[in-house]
Parts: sequence; structure tokens; C-alpha cells
Amino acid sequence: MTRASTTPSPTFAPSRRGFLGLSLAAGLVLGLEACGGTSTLGSGGSSGSGGTGTIKWAWQLPTTWDPVTSSAGSDVQMLALTYDAITALDDQGNATPWLAEKWAYDDSGKVVTFTLHEGLKFSDGSPLDATAVAKSIERGRTQDGSLIAPQMATIKSVRADGDLDVVIELTEVDYQYPLLFAGKTGMVVNPAVFEKDVDSLATQPAGSGPFTLTAYVQNDHATLKKNPNFSAADEIKVENFELYPQPDPSTAVAAARSGQFNLVRLGGAQLQQAKDAGLDVQVISTMFVSVLDVNASMAPFDDPAVVEAMKYAIDREKLKEVAAFGVGDVSYQPFPPGYVGYNPELASIYAYDPDRSRKILKDAGHTSPVKAVFTSSGQSEAAVELIQAQLKEVGIEAKIESIPPTQHTQLVYLEHSKALTYDGFAGRESPVQAFQVLFGAEGLMNPARTTSPELEAQLEKVKKTPTDDPTYPALLQEATKIAVTTFPNTFLTLVPAVIARKGVSGLPTRPSLRRFEGVTA
Amino acid sequence: MTIIRNLWRVPSARFALVVLAVIAFLTLVGGALAPHDPLRQYTDHVLEGPSAAHWLGTDYVGRDVLSRLMAGTRLSVIGAFEAVLIGGVLGVPSGLASAWLGPRLEWMTLRISDTLVILPFTVFAIAVAGTLGNGLQQAMFAIGVLISPIFFRVTRAAALGLRRQQYVEAAELMGATEWWTLRRHIWSKVLPNVAVTSAQATGAALLVVASLSFLGLGVSPPAPTWGGMLASDLDYLAQQPWAPVFPGLLMMATVGSLNLLADAVREAAGDPSRRRSPRRVTVRPEQKEAARA
Repeated sequence: MTRASTTPSPTFAPSRRGFLGLSLAAGLVLGLEACGGTSTLGSGGSSGSGGTGTIKWAWQLPTTWDPVTSSAGSDVQMLALTYDAITALDDQGNATPWLAEKWAYDDSGKVVTFTLHEGLKFSDGSPLDATAVAKSIERGRTQDGSLIAPQMATIKSVRADGDLDVVIELTEVDYQYPLLFAGKTGMVVNPAVFEKDVDSLATQPAGSGPFTLTAYVQNDHATLKKNPNFSAADEIKVENFELYPQPDPSTAVAAARSGQFNLVRLGGAQLQQAKDAGLDVQVISTMFVSVLDVNASMAPFDDPAVVEAMKYAIDREKLKEVAAFGVGDVSYQPFPPGYVGYNPELASIYAYDPDRSRKILKDAGHTSPVKAVFTSSGQSEAAVELIQAQLKEVGIEAKIESIPPTQHTQLVYLEHSKALTYDGFAGRESPVQAFQVLFGAEGLMNPARTTSPELEAQLEKVKKTPTDDPTYPALLQEATKIAVTTFPNTFLTLVPAVIARKGVSGLPTRPSLRRFEGVTA
Repeated sequence: MTIIRNLWRVPSARFALVVLAVIAFLTLVGGALAPHDPLRQYTDHVLEGPSAAHWLGTDYVGRDVLSRLMAGTRLSVIGAFEAVLIGGVLGVPSGLASAWLGPRLEWMTLRISDTLVILPFTVFAIAVAGTLGNGLQQAMFAIGVLISPIFFRVTRAAALGLRRQQYVEAAELMGATEWWTLRRHIWSKVLPNVAVTSAQATGAALLVVASLSFLGLGVSPPAPTWGGMLASDLDYLAQQPWAPVFPGLLMMATVGSLNLLADAVREAAGDPSRRRSPRRVTVRPEQKEAARA
């Protein structure tokens, strides 16, 4: 049996050639779209162009929401959204009032009394008084696993005197506490929470800061809302705050343009792209300085001549120009200009001098190339490769070893198993604390744990000098000089925060902390 | 030789062979022929576009992109070959043994193969690199181990089919040893399947090597690899949106050619009835009607 007629098949069945042509056309369209330059949207064409009352900050998420167990110095930026510290820092790094209205040391220098503002409240509405502050400090210095306890080792006792005065008795004279309390060490945690369930703090912060956490997905995002009990709640102009990890550099500007985020941290390579895309770009000076962690107990850096040669061999101007696209500045010390610990004598102490570097190596008997391993956890590929090439020019052949960023802390800070590592130092509220981290016997960024009696003695003088004493800056700057000239840590460049904004007003330019008072979205 | 002659008659295979010959040439002498030292940094000419001095431009520290592509071929390709070699060494003998040496070994090799098949390539390679250290050899070992079940299954399937052939049974009945039978009757028949699998697996391994380099595993910088170049190019898309095209094209051409070659080898060495006809057969409408009826 045969059919009288056949109906043409409605199915689309292109030939192989046709299919290939379609595929190429689709690829071309997608490719052109991906390579597209400026946005076709006008500044008002996006739903995320402002007025939403929500800041979407692509920066990073904290290692924990508990300031006592936080393991990253940079966590302070995120923790400051939900916690208030006892003091704050001004642009020069001096302590200024925050929760504490004022403070005073007694004549012996061993007792300091912080007087709180009146009427302070935690985000749950409970009073933030001297008793709560004393309990919070006590927990920070005594809790097992506290990572801020070493900084408060000289505290003998803490007690509340009335509702507003917190009296801290010290085992030795130490005028650094007002500075120290401007960071994680001074963040006040609600005792009602940690006395009931201390583990909950890792995911549910309990402070008095400008925002309260409403949702948190680890490694993904956090959402916060304005805290009406914040002491300066009137100055917080947005209702909601969303926090995300920093996006991939290749997508950061696109993410801001699309409105996915309205506040994004960029690298130097994306700065011009962000401007071209019509975003507001703000470059804020920070305390962050890139640095080489050098383990002076491991070859070849157990030879001081190699360390000195390395310091002269690095062309920091070139690092700034090539790796940072001209953003930031060169640095030979851990503090930025304008900071009280910055020593102008060190402004160009290890200026690029390859001939001198070669001579140092030759005089030390290194006639053949010095072999080394240079560890990188991917912080700045360009800087690492530039440094490697510069070292090779003077006779230090460093083989780059890549480690995952997640292993950096373990391998470099805890196991001290790396001889030379590219790293960054985010700064600390107290310069003495910064010295301890970088050059102290237990300092995380002092891989060989070497100490200098000269520096220790100078830091003792610094601690025993009131921060408003006229001799204080000179003493601190002398400590900086001793540290920079005796320790192998090699400081490279100051790294400002490059921030792209879309529909968000300018951020305050405080170097130590990003704050959001007065910021609109 | 017959297989190669058959291959050369197929246009797609001819194209693939030419491309792979170029890649092989670059693998052998690419670094030596590169116009610049692939590690030399021209820091005053960073992220420049194509020019007479740098035909494909320069990268983020001023290195010549063309030179890095040429020199990077060796590590990218050798890495892939190393993984395939490890996979073949582990998979082929175990596949033959599984079909030949009794049910106990068969059961054991099948279970190991099943276990390896469920492990994802990249994640396993990252775990191995984390345990044994970050290096090309460690990463290739990991990939090779995961590729081995492909060789195992292909070899085993072919060997099982061949074992039931009458001439193999006859050889056994006449007192041939297992080793002689394997060498004489099985291996030559299994080899084309292994060749096809090797070509496809090399393409897959090349992509995995590139993925690992993209993730910063395997080859340490500043040594050039296609995947590593692709990864670093993505950070500078604003300055050089075209840059990822070059390593991407090389990868695409190599993997595509390997796949074309694998198809052609299968056709050239396989069942004659499955070979592609050299000329098209025109079917008349009345023949279609008759066929439908």
C-alpha cells in the first residue's frame, strides 16, 4: 500500500555546512557582544542607578562575624558594619572618640579609664554600658582560641566603674590601648549573646554598629539592614546593605555597570575601564602595603648580603607603573606618608640600584647565581613576575612556586615553610601592634621569628610614651627605621583602594576603615 | 601504511594531519624559532597591540605574545601526551588482563575503573596537586589516572569481542599460549581502537591541562602555557579584548584536529561497511517512495 500524497516535513534539518554557518554566526554575535565597549545604557537606564537605598558592596566576606576569633586583619572592614569599637582613628592614625567619649591614664601610666557616651545601645536594644564593655574586653583576653588576646597581654584587670567608666589596670605602662581599641580588639560584643551561645557569633554578629545582619551565606553574601539603635543612626542614609566577595577582575566593571553591585573594589587595570563605562571611580589611600615576607632562617636569605642585595634589586617604580597601572606609590616602610610612624628618612632608602645589588652579592662571595624559591598565592601575578625578572638581573634566580590562596596562612604564617613570599600588610590600629605582627617574636609576618633587642627596647619606649607627647612621633619613627634596616621584610608599594561607584555617593576617605556615615545610594 | 594512505584520502583527516604537524613542529622547535625570548619583559611596551616588532602584541609585563604561544606549545602538548601515556599504560594492559585473566581480576579491575570514572577531572587534579605539590608532573599523573578507565573499557570491550572469535579459540585449542594469542591475534586488532581513543583523550587532556593552568595549577609562571596565557589575558580584557583569541584558537585547532583524526582513524581502520562512501549516492524521489512503502 502506498500513500496518495506526502506532506512535507515541518522539521528544520540544516545541512552540515548550514549548521556550521549558523554556529559561526552565533559565535560571532556572542563574541562581538562580549567585546563590546561602552554601555548602551545611559546613566539613568539601569534600575540600579541610585535611589534604591541599598548599598551592594563587592569587597569580601569576613572569616567570621566574631571579632575575637577573626583570623584576617582585613576582616575589620566588614566587622565594622555590625560592631562599634571603643575608639576610632583619624587620618593621621591618632585615636579619636567613638563609643568612648574620652579616656585618661593615671599618673603611673598603668591605669586607663575609658568613659563611654551616654545612652548607647546594642542592636537588640539592650544597654551598652561600662559593664558590657568590661565583659567584652574580658572575654577577648581570656577566651580559649581568642586571636586578640596576645594584644591585651599587659591587661591585669578590667572593671566597670558606674555605668560609663571602664577601668583597665595594666601590668606595665602602655599608652597604646586607645589606639588598639580602634580595631577588632576594641569591638564590643553583646555579653548577653556570648554568655548564652558564643558559637553563634560566627554567623550572627551581636554588636552596636550601623547595620545588623539579616542573612548570611558563607562565601556567598551577607545582607544587612540599618540598625536604628546605632549611636549615629541619623547619619546612615541607606536602609539596606548587601555584602559580596570581590568579583573576578574581568567581570568587576560589568558587574557594576549592570547594577549587580553598586560599590565594587577594582584593580588598577580596571580603573580606566570603569571611568570609560561612566562609573564614579574613587581612589582612597589605605594603610595597605605590599611586602615580601622573607624567612631569614632559610637559604639563601640566611645570608644578610642576599637580603640586602634583594632590597636594592627591586625596581618599585616599575612595579607601580606596570603591575598597578600607576596607582599607589612606592614604599620602603610599613606606614604611608602622613601617618605618625612614617619616617621621612626612609623615603628612598632602598631605591633601585642593580649595580649596588650585584656588588653586594659579589663582595659576599656569590659569584654564581643565588637560587631561591619565590612563593606566590596569586595576589599579583604581574608584580611577582616582575620581581622575579628583576632579581634575576642581579644574580638571584628565584623559581616561582604557586600555592592556593587558602594555604597561604598555613604555609607562610603558621608553618614558616616558605623562604620568600609575596604578601600584603593591611596595617594595624596601633603602630606597636603593627611592629609586633611584622617584627615581633610571634609576629605572623615575621616568618623566621627573628627579634631585634634594639627594636624591642625602642618599642618599650614608644609604649611608655603618651601618644600626645611631643616626643612620641620621633620615638615611633626611630623604631620604624630600626625595623626597616634590620629586618628582612622588603616593603614594595602602597596599595590604595580603587572603588567604582554607581549611584552611590562618595565614601569617607579615612585610610584605616571604610565607613558609611552620610553615604547615599 | 594502508591506514595512513586511507587517512590521507579523507579531506578532514588531511586537514587535521596538517594542523597537527604544525603543532608537532611547534612542540619540537617552537621555543627555538620564537622571534623573542618568551620570558623577556619589555616593560616599556606593556599590553601593546600587534606591531612589526611584536606581531601578536605584548602581555601584561611586556612579553612577546607570539613567542610565548610558540614556546608554550611544548609544555601544553607534552603535558597532554604525558597524561595520555599514563592513562594508556594503566588502562590498556589492565583492559586486556580483565578480559583474559579470569573473573577475580575482572571483578577487581571493573570496580577500580568504576570508582575512577566517578571522579571529576579537575577536582581530582586539584586534590592531587594539593597533596603531592603543585607541579606539571603531579597534575598529569592525576589526569592520567582518570583517563585510564577510558583506555581500560575500550581495550576490554575489543578484547572480549575478539576472544570469542573462532580463530582465537582455534589457536587456543591448538595449544597456543595466552601471551602468544594476545600478541599475535588480539593486540593488532585492539591497537586501532587504542589509537582512536588516544587521539580523543589527547584532546580532552589538552583541555584539562589548559583548565588546570587557568586555575594556576600545573605549570608555574612565568613558563608559558596556552591555558596560563588564557587565564592571565582575562584579567586585562579591558586593555586587550582580543588577547584570549590567540591561545583559544590554538587550543581549538589542536583539539578539533585530534577529534577529526580520531574519526578518520576509526573509519580507516574499522569495519569497511561503516566507512564513509567516497561519493554521494543520489536517491531519486521514486526510490524514496518505494522505500517508504
